[in-house]
Amino acid sequence: MSERPPVPVITPGALARRRLHVMFALDCSGSMRGDRIASLNYAMRSALPELLSVAEDNPEVQVMVQVMRFDTVARWHIDEPTPIEEMEWIDLDAGGETAMGSALAQIGEALDSAEAGPRQLPPVIVLASDGYPTDDIDAGLEQFFSSAAATAATRIAIAIGSNTDLDTLERFMNSPEARLKPLRANNAPDLVKSIKWATTAPVKATSSPTNAPDVASQLALNAEQLEAPSSEVVW
Amino acid sequence: MSTNAELSPGTQFVSSKATRTGVVRSVLGAGGQGTVYAVDLEGATFALKWYHEHYIDIDTGLRDRLANAVERGAPDGRFLWPLELVTIPGNPSFGYIMPVRAGHYVGMRDLIAPPPKRVELSLADRAKLCARIADSFLQLHARGFCYQDINFGNIFLDPATADILICDNDNVNVDGAPASIYGTRKFMAPEVVRREVLPSTQTDLFSMAVMFFYVIFGWHPLDGQQEANIKILDTDAENRLYGTQPVFIFDTVNNANAPVAGLHDALVYRWQSLNDELRDLFLQSFMQGLFNPGKRVLEYEWRSAFLKMSSAVYQCGQCGYENVAQSGGAAKCGYCGQDPAVPPLLKVDKNILTLDVSRPITSSMLSLMIEQPDPVVATVEAHPQHAHVLGLRNQSAETWRSEIPGYSATPIAPGKTLRLLHGSRIETAGGLLEVINPGDTPA
Repeated sequence: MSERPPVPVITPGALARRRLHVMFALDCSGSMRGDRIASLNYAMRSALPELLSVAEDNPEVQVMVQVMRFDTVARWHIDEPTPIEEMEWIDLDAGGETAMGSALAQIGEALDSAEAGPRQLPPVIVLASDGYPTDDIDAGLEQFFSSAAATAATRIAIAIGSNTDLDTLERFMNSPEARLKPLRANNAPDLVKSIKWATTAPVKATSSPTNAPDVASQLALNAEQLEAPSSEVVW
Repeated sequence: MSTNAELSPGTQFVSSKATRTGVVRSVLGAGGQGTVYAVDLEGATFALKWYHEHYIDIDTGLRDRLANAVERGAPDGRFLWPLELVTIPGNPSFGYIMPVRAGHYVGMRDLIAPPPKRVELSLADRAKLCARIADSFLQLHARGFCYQDINFGNIFLDPATADILICDNDNVNVDGAPASIYGTRKFMAPEVVRREVLPSTQTDLFSMAVMFFYVIFGWHPLDGQQEANIKILDTDAENRLYGTQPVFIFDTVNNANAPVAGLHDALVYRWQSLNDELRDLFLQSFMQGLFNPGKRVLEYEWRSAFLKMSSAVYQCGQCGYENVAQSGGAAKCGYCGQDPAVPPLLKVDKNILTLDVSRPITSSMLSLMIEQPDPVVATVEAHPQHAHVLGLRNQSAETWRSEIPGYSATPIAPGKTLRLLHGSRIETAGGLLEVINPGDTPA
């Protein structure tokens, strides 16, 4: 028999995978200084490997991560959408005010430009804050929701500590019949758990067996289980 | 979460049947329903799935389903089937023990994972894998069970042998009984996506066909132009694509969801490289079978088609792409479009077997049944003096009778080799074989 040519490698899945943008808007204002920002950094460090592992369970999807930080101004901490396989966490520091409105407006813009790019699943947007916005949150929310992708997104808010603007967080989540409520993180273990859940549950919902008609209902079911045993320890 | 508290190593449990006592060793994995542990039971290692308390509150039929499965026993050796129910004194939850999955098995989704995680299998092995899946679900369905949730997550494969293991058998239920789950995204039958029915053996057949398409193509059968045009795939869009307006990417009548040049080229090459029989089964599954569950392809039809296919794969002599041989019609390579230099073929009844010096012919390749053991009955060998002349060596215990055009009937004793002359016929214990080898015609 003569020498055979090698088998041509043709990989449709790798070329045409749908993107799933996971975006974080993280509060780095002065009240986050100390333990809280340290816990938030720890939570992000420990959530990313779990996100990678659930992403690998869904090989048809490419998970891309972007991180926005806000204090007196809002700016990108991780600017370019980064494949989860390449993510390395860089610690955040805290100090200043709470420009949440500007953060959401910029995320809205980023979602619009991502919409012009490759095919995607509804994005996941995680907002974590421990206080009240100090800039124009109404304008920020309006610009955010003017993006079609923001409206289609799975939006999850995490209230850190007890002095948070729950109304604003609920407006951000805009969950029909308020099925999904902001997660409450009153201590460091809760924050780690909330960040992990907010990051991985929506990704998991796309590849797990289900009884729920859509992702939001599935999350609402899961969130109830997460909320139940929340600790009362305040920090 | 207190209800999800893990069982600590050393925890003792009691099995339901013989009230045997076992010991928890370590965690093997965790999921939404419960946690799986490695356990010792009378000197042997098993896996224990222990349910979260909140899950047994929701899934009220679980205990009866498991008890029934334990009593009826595994359909075949490929199922990691519940062996016994298990309780722990003072603990309100329960679990079951099953065989442990060996470490060299990998998840089916690794077949479509991006490199370096991707598992590469030859087309012949992919066909074997599908034949085994079809065979196991035939055994399951024949016992009156339905699986309810066939998807990538619960079938594992051995990349070296293409053997399979089927896990997560706790959703398995008597067909017709109220289902405990709808299924997994993109694997559910359209009528389940539309929430018109609960899973049954007929919806299992659809999920199984989706699985086969993924194994052969690395892609979903309903993802064509319609899917490519959707920028953000939200719940409404998913319900349209997979529920209310599904169209097969290779639908021969409706081209609304046809392959997009540049995006789906690889799927087109693969489609062109298959034989008519398999293409017809996919067309039936994803055209008539989409809206008419009674038209879905049955397990034994798939099993037979994939067994035949696994013996009919060859590499194009021009570009190396894998094609499936079939009798009749001029062959073109599905990838390069050139004459692929089809190797010598054996016609067995209506089926085609490609002949290759590197691949022995086993009994199952002639019978098209899954055989264990599966002895070698013939090999393809070059003539000792003329390397370009190929022959078929009788490796069986019986003498063959051959008819060669232009020669008298000749017996081929065990160990003897017959030249692969075009048009020769061979009577074997496994059936009548005919040589198709236009490159070597009798003088």
